[in-house]
Amino acid sequence: MNQKISVFLILFSTGYLYLSFQLKEYPYVPVDSDLVPKALGILLIGLAVLLFFDKSSESDEERKKRVVPKKEILVLVSVGGMIFLYIFLFEGLGFLLTTALFVFFCSWFLGYKKWLSNALVSIIFPSVLYYLFNYLLQIRLPQGLLPF
Amino acid sequence: MGALDGLMQGFQIAFSLEGLLFVLIGVVTGTLIGMMPGLGPISAIAIMIPVTYGMNPSTALVMMAGVYYGAVFGGSTSSILLNAPGISGTVATSFDGYPMAQRGEAGKALAIAAISSFTGGTVSVVLLMLFAPALAQVAVSFGPPQYFALMLLGLTAISSLSDGSTIKALISATLGFIVATIGIDGQTGTNRFTFGNPNLMEGIDFLVIALGLFAIAEVCFLVLKRKDQSLSNQANIGNLKISKQDFKEMRGPMTRQSFLGFLLGVLPGAGATIASFIGYITEKRIAKKPEEFGKGSVKGLAAPETANNAATSGAFVPLLSLGIPGSGTTAVMLGAFLVLGIQPGPLLVQDHPDVFWGIIASMYIGNVFLLILNLPLIPYIAKILNISRPLLISLVIVFSLIGVYSISFSTFDLYLLLLFGVVGYLMRLLSFPAAPFILAFILGGMMEQAFRQALTASGGSLMVFINDPISVSLLIVSILSFVVPFIRGRKKTQ
Repeated sequence: MNQKISVFLILFSTGYLYLSFQLKEYPYVPVDSDLVPKALGILLIGLAVLLFFDKSSESDEERKKRVVPKKEILVLVSVGGMIFLYIFLFEGLGFLLTTALFVFFCSWFLGYKKWLSNALVSIIFPSVLYYLFNYLLQIRLPQGLLPF
Repeated sequence: MGALDGLMQGFQIAFSLEGLLFVLIGVVTGTLIGMMPGLGPISAIAIMIPVTYGMNPSTALVMMAGVYYGAVFGGSTSSILLNAPGISGTVATSFDGYPMAQRGEAGKALAIAAISSFTGGTVSVVLLMLFAPALAQVAVSFGPPQYFALMLLGLTAISSLSDGSTIKALISATLGFIVATIGIDGQTGTNRFTFGNPNLMEGIDFLVIALGLFAIAEVCFLVLKRKDQSLSNQANIGNLKISKQDFKEMRGPMTRQSFLGFLLGVLPGAGATIASFIGYITEKRIAKKPEEFGKGSVKGLAAPETANNAATSGAFVPLLSLGIPGSGTTAVMLGAFLVLGIQPGPLLVQDHPDVFWGIIASMYIGNVFLLILNLPLIPYIAKILNISRPLLISLVIVFSLIGVYSISFSTFDLYLLLLFGVVGYLMRLLSFPAAPFILAFILGGMMEQAFRQALTASGGSLMVFINDPISVSLLIVSILSFVVPFIRGRKKTQ
């Protein structure tokens, strides 16, 4: 596993170094903006090489942690998708609507079956937050479709 | 201004109605968030930052300090009741706290934890009050080379002390530093790694990283464990009474660990986790009946609880007097300072005595609040653990998203938050510690600036780091701090 991560890190730092060498240089500056990124890129390659040859074995606990059933990965991806959709609609529909829908469907999807209390929480929680942010803290959350 | 005058001023702020109210809010919300499995002080502080906008900085920071040690205390509650430490700093608490709870003495365990936390917290605030201004006076003379060396020490120390592989921790820190280089360079104005995206020009906000790597990544694990029913079976916690005998046993560990924990908290990289483990181990070693440890020993519970709270205050010493965080949690705390327009450092005591002494005074009060709140209210507070996990997950996600949105007002940052959530989850899965990442990310910009200022002043000669006794000794310690574990690791495998 370490080898795979190491190869990925080396590729990543090569890309980063390539970009660092593209940075504009200024004359008469003793230390230019590209020095630190170049140093970091080289440092990361060095560490990745060390990781590649690192023989210290993983504990069983670490290995067990990595095994995630396929079904659960699907659940995680779905939650990620819901968050993505939430962000996508956030400014268009407004904070109140998206949050209420998100809290309700996400909790329901993850197995919260008491639909009445779920519905209550999904309405009260965003409303309280909206009031707190918009009126007490003066931080405007997106209003969206609703008139308030 | 003498320490006493300063403290008086601090108490004036903390004892005002507003001050008391916000300490209370901070301590309560900190305890509640810290109690949630998986959510520790970092998430608690990050989630609460948006709430402080527009508040008076000293009141806001008084509240944030309350959130911090409230969260440390809340973590011990879930350790004792559920054997589910919210954070690594309270893992040692569960060694003896959980067996005690299983014996039906959960109430007693919680009371011991509350009293030990109170003692550790209070003793170390006294030490903080004495140490921090003195250290600040020394640090006033520090220039860029010394600062650079000091920050490097913080980074290498946290990498070599974090559990697991040192190489992985160092890679984590390097990646954090690399992410910090994104944005317009402060000294030459060069656009670095922004790919022409205007959203990246000011760099990535630290809240995106903190909430992504900690809160959102933790949500992934909560999703996987959502069917664990262990949350709700400790409804009855029993009697809170502690006998005289118990008190006698607690006295020794509480006194010793208050000082030891504080010292470990001051050191960069160590912090609450290390302090609690070392506290546990030393008490076990000097105990007359070490075989009781791990089976619900009073000493075994009092030691880590005293130590982790003492370390929490200790960690404020470098933060307040040098402006340099020594751990992931204080790094996020530094972010909270900066959001409020306050730069902690050697000049904080002079420029913002209200903030400096307000925080210290609030810690005294906060500790008292924690004790008063936790002893009688614990049975009720523990009910929060009954909250359904699916609901908890959705609410944490929403809190994180609003937290980020309310500082940037751009959905671009929300997508970034999601991205860093995935990164944080993968890091956790592959055993890369996240604390060095966030510390390097926050220190990165400051380190680069100090490094380049030092080199600019010296005309590009690296000798500037070696010519000064302070910076050279700090550099040597920081090199040793990761070379030594390497060699030791080699020897072990051979």
